[in-house]
Amino acid sequence: MKNKKAKTESKVDAGLAIYLFKNKTKKGLVRFFSLVLIMGLCFTIIYPILSLVPVVFSTVEDLGNPNVIWIPLEFSTISFKTAARMIMPQGLATMGKSVLYAAGIMVLQVFFSAMVGYSLARVNFWGRRLVFGMVILVFLLPRQSLLLAQYIYFVHFDVLGIMNLFTKAGEINLINNPIVLVLLAVFGFGVNQSLFIFLFSQFFKNIPKELEEASLIDGCGFYRTYFRIMLPNAIPIISTVGILSFVWNYGDTYYTNYFNPNGSYMSTLLSSTFISANKDYILEALRTWYDAPVATDLAFDAVKQAGALIFLIPLLIVYLIGQRKLVENMENSGLVG
Amino acid sequence: MKKKRKKISFRTMWKIHGVIFVAPFLIGFVAFFLLPLINTIYYSFNEVGVGDQGGMTFKWVGIQNYIDLFRSEVTTTNTTMARLFTEENSTMLLSLPLIVIFSLFMALLANQKFKGRAIVRLLFFLPIILGIDVVMDMLTITTGGTTLDTGSNLLSGSYVTIFLVRTLNVPMRILYPIMTYVENIFDLISQAGVQTLVYLTALQSISPSLYEVAKMEGATAYETFWKVTIPSIMNITFFVVIYTIVDLFLKSSIAEEAYAFAFTQGKIGVGSALSIVYVGNVILVLAVAALLLRKVVKKNEK
Repeated sequence: MKNKKAKTESKVDAGLAIYLFKNKTKKGLVRFFSLVLIMGLCFTIIYPILSLVPVVFSTVEDLGNPNVIWIPLEFSTISFKTAARMIMPQGLATMGKSVLYAAGIMVLQVFFSAMVGYSLARVNFWGRRLVFGMVILVFLLPRQSLLLAQYIYFVHFDVLGIMNLFTKAGEINLINNPIVLVLLAVFGFGVNQSLFIFLFSQFFKNIPKELEEASLIDGCGFYRTYFRIMLPNAIPIISTVGILSFVWNYGDTYYTNYFNPNGSYMSTLLSSTFISANKDYILEALRTWYDAPVATDLAFDAVKQAGALIFLIPLLIVYLIGQRKLVENMENSGLVG
Repeated sequence: MKKKRKKISFRTMWKIHGVIFVAPFLIGFVAFFLLPLINTIYYSFNEVGVGDQGGMTFKWVGIQNYIDLFRSEVTTTNTTMARLFTEENSTMLLSLPLIVIFSLFMALLANQKFKGRAIVRLLFFLPIILGIDVVMDMLTITTGGTTLDTGSNLLSGSYVTIFLVRTLNVPMRILYPIMTYVENIFDLISQAGVQTLVYLTALQSISPSLYEVAKMEGATAYETFWKVTIPSIMNITFFVVIYTIVDLFLKSSIAEEAYAFAFTQGKIGVGSALSIVYVGNVILVLAVAALLLRKVVKKNEK
């Protein structure tokens, strides 16, 4: 009896098994292909960095050698050292300065964007929609379109004749004065700052109203509510904006190049040192500093890429620390849904 | 005095605080945006010179600057302005859909569950830092002969291509454009960092119960994708498209041209005219994109 039952069951099961098998292979295949795709993409992303390594760390003589592809014949740090001397004229202090600059601007940007974002999201003041429209407008118009007028504006900087009190000419030339960059960040016009304001306002929109009400009933004023209740609740978006702001400010060549060209930030040094017009100068430096008479065009590229590698180090560190939070936090950012 | 104070209601006070909070932005808007914008427009209708005492002198010339811009002026690389604009716009319109679709694709891949997902995500968002202009310039633009490539020549020299051409006789005419795109894939990826991040979060915020329902109703994966995933991320696509357009315009070289006109050649008026034309161009593209997208979004929301 038992046998018979088992037999009929197995007959039914056979169909099911085939179905399951089909399903399984199908799923397996899809999985396999998507894995291949993912691996391919990962490879494409990391390939440029990986291929830097042999170029940067092989001797200058080996650069044109077709036999050397991945592992340098002789390990050498000449290009690396040259690049370091080029883009870090004061040694690690230059790197420290660039990092500090980016971090400082980041703090300012986060602080002021959060304030504006909060007000736009939670306070129904007069002309709120208009201000929101302004933020969007600033985001949409590429910042370089106003570069010319902004530049002239900073050359002849004068707020309502206040400068009359300080200088004779009644105006002050702010170009090459780092204060321009600080001013821009404080008044909401740093790198991509309108985007940050937008992100903050989207985030604050989704915070439950009860939090605010509770704090009011407990006797907090506007500022205490904001700094004690709202800001601590906004940690996810603060870190997201913070990471993006740091990365963009560190890599920014636009504001630093035009408004503070002598600031010797690593990003501007990198972009101004390694232009093709400077090729001979760099090769000459390579020859005299490190006694490498055969330095060719290829060596120039090696030095250049070494420079990029040095430049990337702080960014990679920040990225490695922050990236896991980035995805989690964006979910809570309110941008979505 | 006390009575007067009481008149300001709590709500009004709250609003005043709100205005104080946006005040920095408002000041910045006037100082760093509105005034420069008005000035740019003003300069563009004037011949701007340097006066005897160091100030600036203006001579009204009407739209002469604009006419000069397109008739006689050339860029630093000796192309005409009309050509510069057509090139910028066409490359932008070509790469826009590619970047948007590609970032969605990357997000879909990263959203799957598999082992080592953390590492894959780590790599997938690397373009956020690799895509910075300086880094890209250093990595790709080279001066020497055969130098570092960013994945270029991977396809054209590969066995796949040889197989396609020799055995299947696929004509080069068809293969070539595909090859160019594949070889520039790193360019594409490097511009899709933030977009991928945004898409990934959008995908993760779709309620799993929607997928369960779809499964119960017997929808195939294909149907689920088009009926559940795509409508759910339509709103965010709007944002991604706008962001991509803005980002692409940010990278264009027109600003450098304007700067060169103004400070290398001393033609501030012409440079300003160029800036204004540029702003008009951006607004036009954005408006068209927004109009088109709004239709698509609405259709999908029904």
